[in-house]
Amino acid sequence: MIWEIIWNQMPYLLHGLWIALQLLAALLSLGLVLGLALALIEIYGHWTLRWTGILFERVFRGVPAVVLLLLFYYGVTDFIEMSSFMAAVLALGLRSTAYQSQIFRGAIQSVPQGQMMAAQAMGMGRARAVGWIILPQALRHAIGPWTNEFSSELKATSLAYVIGVVELTRQGKYIVSSTQGNVLIVFGVVALMYFVVNRLGNWALYKFEGRITVPGFERRAA
Amino acid sequence: MRKFVMGAVCAAGMLGASSASAETLTAGVEAAFPPWAYVEEGEYKGIAIDAMRAIAEDQGLDVEFKDLPWPSLIPALAKGKIDLLVTGLNVTKERAEVLDFSIPWWENDDEVLVSADSDLNVVTALCCGATVGAQGGSTQFGWIEANLVEADTGVELRGYEDYVTAVEDMNTGRIDSVVTSTDTAETLISKGQPVKIVGTIQQNQPQALAVQEGDPNELLGKLNAGIMNIYKSGQWEQIVHKYQPQASIRIIPTTMPDYVDSYKKPIPGYSE
Repeated sequence: MIWEIIWNQMPYLLHGLWIALQLLAALLSLGLVLGLALALIEIYGHWTLRWTGILFERVFRGVPAVVLLLLFYYGVTDFIEMSSFMAAVLALGLRSTAYQSQIFRGAIQSVPQGQMMAAQAMGMGRARAVGWIILPQALRHAIGPWTNEFSSELKATSLAYVIGVVELTRQGKYIVSSTQGNVLIVFGVVALMYFVVNRLGNWALYKFEGRITVPGFERRAA
Repeated sequence: MRKFVMGAVCAAGMLGASSASAETLTAGVEAAFPPWAYVEEGEYKGIAIDAMRAIAEDQGLDVEFKDLPWPSLIPALAKGKIDLLVTGLNVTKERAEVLDFSIPWWENDDEVLVSADSDLNVVTALCCGATVGAQGGSTQFGWIEANLVEADTGVELRGYEDYVTAVEDMNTGRIDSVVTSTDTAETLISKGQPVKIVGTIQQNQPQALAVQEGDPNELLGKLNAGIMNIYKSGQWEQIVHKYQPQASIRIIPTTMPDYVDSYKKPIPGYSE
């Protein structure tokens, strides 16, 4: 009987998953753009910018995700009107910015210093050298650790229900409350859905990493 | 990477689309609270939901529902994130200080639940080393805290986000009893949860809708008039019996405690 209910409710669970995936795509893109910028600032920026960047990153890595969600939904929206979804994108996206900046910083710093010197010796400016020599290598290095960020943010989207984003976890809760029970089975199915998306995403990212490998260029051992 | 950029564009689009128009009222609900408000087949259902739709139609209001977890609802109303609160909301003194209540449309008692195969009775379920569960922030939680925990009866109180998890916890043996309102208890039993009622705590607890403190959108008059209209037309009875066939319909308004400011005359929409 509960399996029948879950089967009938599958469209709503899938809709919840779709909301979760939209949230994930938006927050990861925000984190990708800002995180890369932050990493470059932390490495190459003027010391004032660098310290501002480090402060931002420490704050967003040091506050729990749920607290950030509540702060953005109840605090920031006093000044800027926005939906629950947008508040969740900002709260989780800025947190992801902080984490991603560290992934990119590590990846950029793993490119040997000598390459920058060689590029400059060939007459390239610093910005040009970063864009054409350092980043193409660093971004390839970054994919491995980035899969971890993907997994961890996918799971973090499940927290967004506290500010009223009806994603997969909340849809699961609806089934639990309308059938007055079955907590274990419903959340078992929800867990399986997260797991499958997680594996698929990781599989795709490793596939992507393999595809853009430069032959002969050093590669992370699989 | 292109995929991610598209995601960002989608998100930006949603920001524009979701800014609510000025006339649509946002009604906060906790959609995990049958029979008052819940989601089934992707649709909001329940006594409070259907009644609110009827009131909106009667008064020409445009209402959309927004689901928030129970502990967030009152803060969200106080902050103006939602315009009114539509659920099985108990009228209490503390809440009357941060929000304004409509005339009460329901009255509830509390029920003491134990597992169907339990030997506990109403005394042993609530005394002397018993662990009791209730929904955190609920009136039942407050009552147990004030009357049992602080009276040193040896009761340990546990708060849950909702009573479904409290009942699951009881059925796995981690707590001895759960205290819920009467209609919650009846819904649990009618849905086949293995629980039984061992005692009733007479509370005559009124329930109502709520708006922001001071009623900035001047909604109370419309809500009160709407409640009286659907009560008199018999629509209210139909809605209640759709979800709770055995429930007896109280005379509206039920008891109006004098600590509630919005029950001091004149009450807008009810007694001018």
